[in-house]
Amino acid sequence: MTAPLLACSGLTMRFGGLVALDGLDIAVERGTTIGLVGPNGSGKTTFFNVLTGLYRPSAGAAALADEDIFAKSPQAIGRAGVARTFQHCRLMLDQSVFDNIALGALRHRHLGLAAQFFRRRRLREEIDALVDQVRQLANRFNPAIATALFEPAGSFTMIDRRRIEICRALIANPRLLLLDEPSAGMTPEETRRLMDDLLEFRRESPDLAVILVEHEMDVIRRVSNRCIVLNFGRKIFEGSFEALIEDRDVQTAYLGSGH
Amino acid sequence: MPGNGLPKRAAAVAIPALAFAGLAWLLGAEREWEIVTILVGFLAVLVVLDRTQPGRAVAAACRAERSVANATAVIATLVVLWTFREEHFALLMVATVALSATACVGLNIQMAFGGIANFAAAAFFTLGAYTAAVLTGHTALPHLLVLAAGGAVTSVLGLVLLLPVLRTRGHYVALVTIAFGLLLRNLLEVNDTFGGPQGMKIPAFAPFGFDFGTITSIAGIEVSFYLPYALAAAALFGMAFLAARCLELSWIGIAIDAVRTDPIAASTFGLSPARWKATAFLIGNAMIGVAGALYGMMNGFVNPNGAGFGESLTLISIVVLGGLGNLWGTVAASAVVLALPEKLQPIQEYRLLIFAAVVIAILRFRPGGLLPRPLRVLGSRDGVEA
Repeated sequence: MTAPLLACSGLTMRFGGLVALDGLDIAVERGTTIGLVGPNGSGKTTFFNVLTGLYRPSAGAAALADEDIFAKSPQAIGRAGVARTFQHCRLMLDQSVFDNIALGALRHRHLGLAAQFFRRRRLREEIDALVDQVRQLANRFNPAIATALFEPAGSFTMIDRRRIEICRALIANPRLLLLDEPSAGMTPEETRRLMDDLLEFRRESPDLAVILVEHEMDVIRRVSNRCIVLNFGRKIFEGSFEALIEDRDVQTAYLGSGH
Repeated sequence: MPGNGLPKRAAAVAIPALAFAGLAWLLGAEREWEIVTILVGFLAVLVVLDRTQPGRAVAAACRAERSVANATAVIATLVVLWTFREEHFALLMVATVALSATACVGLNIQMAFGGIANFAAAAFFTLGAYTAAVLTGHTALPHLLVLAAGGAVTSVLGLVLLLPVLRTRGHYVALVTIAFGLLLRNLLEVNDTFGGPQGMKIPAFAPFGFDFGTITSIAGIEVSFYLPYALAAAALFGMAFLAARCLELSWIGIAIDAVRTDPIAASTFGLSPARWKATAFLIGNAMIGVAGALYGMMNGFVNPNGAGFGESLTLISIVVLGGLGNLWGTVAASAVVLALPEKLQPIQEYRLLIFAAVVIAILRFRPGGLLPRPLRVLGSRDGVEA
């Protein structure tokens, strides 16, 4: 068996006296989807922020395909193939949908000044190609987005904004995709459709590894191969969904003792 | 092409032509009633374009047929310049507006695209003029290269500000640049190397041996010696405009917008905020410096007063009034801020009052500025509804 795509060991993050992550050991293989659950404040988003380089961990190590993540800047981590969505949408609301999604693809583009000024024809071809690609991708999630690529992102509903964020992460063609509560604020029906789209995308890129933070247990059951439960920054469970719902520690963490 | 291509193009010709005709009338107008009529006319057209259905359709047509509208503007500029070919004052005004608009295109790249509030723009503008003074006084560098050097020196000296600008945000950037502007102005004032408070003389612009200071006729027709300056200034604005458009409509345009609106999301997707903010800042400074160099040559002298904080505020107010991120807005707002008060001379005591009222009215009813920044539309237009 080959080494996992992502290997974290002893990952610890302290904010003053608060321990947000406490000695996490997590390994993610290529082609798997990990469902990451845990009560509010258990460290799920902190884990994502550490993985994307926004926070520097207090201790521990993480490697993406055997390369040390923490030696890199956030930009370099992004270029190494980690893409994410955010718990609270982070889009450029005044810019077009296309601009927002294209942001994900910029790391594969020539960004030299001379290339923009003097190779206008090649640039135009690149742009047209990306417009087609973005349109196809958006069309899967919602055709209404695909036909309005040049409307401001701010004119869309929260659900569509979330879809735009997911498209932005997918167009980056990542090796590791971090989804932070994609279903927050959606109706069960909308969530189901979003998951269908994701599963389909998953089938087409079999090597992609996904970590999904989610509160909806239905979503976790449908899309994840394996579940990890965090509580107070510690991993209290790892295993299949069936084992998860039987686990006493997990029940205690979610419902309190006495159940 | 959609079926209504022709009317669209007609609109894209008519609106800029109308705007330039209005500006030309304003330029030549001397009686109060004329000036007030033109102002009211401009406001009325703006209201119609902004608040009525057909008006909005016409405005959209202008945006859709951008190249037609821009070509009309170029021709209209040439016509206006030729009409006023013997009027010193009118041409001086046109050249001043064009050079201030050029500097404001640079300032737009810094402020509207890069999100860097540069309150030292006039200091950098003056720096361009000082560079021209020193280079023309001490070297035999061809004058076109002197212009380029004005931009290069301004950009390089901008590097001094780069580190503090990249490490601070919002109001703090403004404070840093205000401090730099004051510093530069005082330095120029107390240091005799650059002429102290009197400043320095600059010879007239003379590219390829055509000394602009001595031109009195073109092909036998008498012209003001300001005509070549006005033409050069308009050409400079054209180049700055083109460069800024190329920048905006490219991957870099998206990158710069992304690091401004959300540096965290941008860096997660592999963009370095420092790199793109620095790019916007340095390119903007280069444009400001080149405009300043030509302005200095046209005036024949430069002194530290031009680097004052008030002058920087004027440039910023032009950018905000014209519409953050709109390149044509810099022309419209430069005309309002620089030319209008001159034109209101006949009603001496009321002129600043009217000017202030116009500015407040614009910002009250059009918070996005005279011409708000249009949405960037990349790629060919098929599949996009008009």
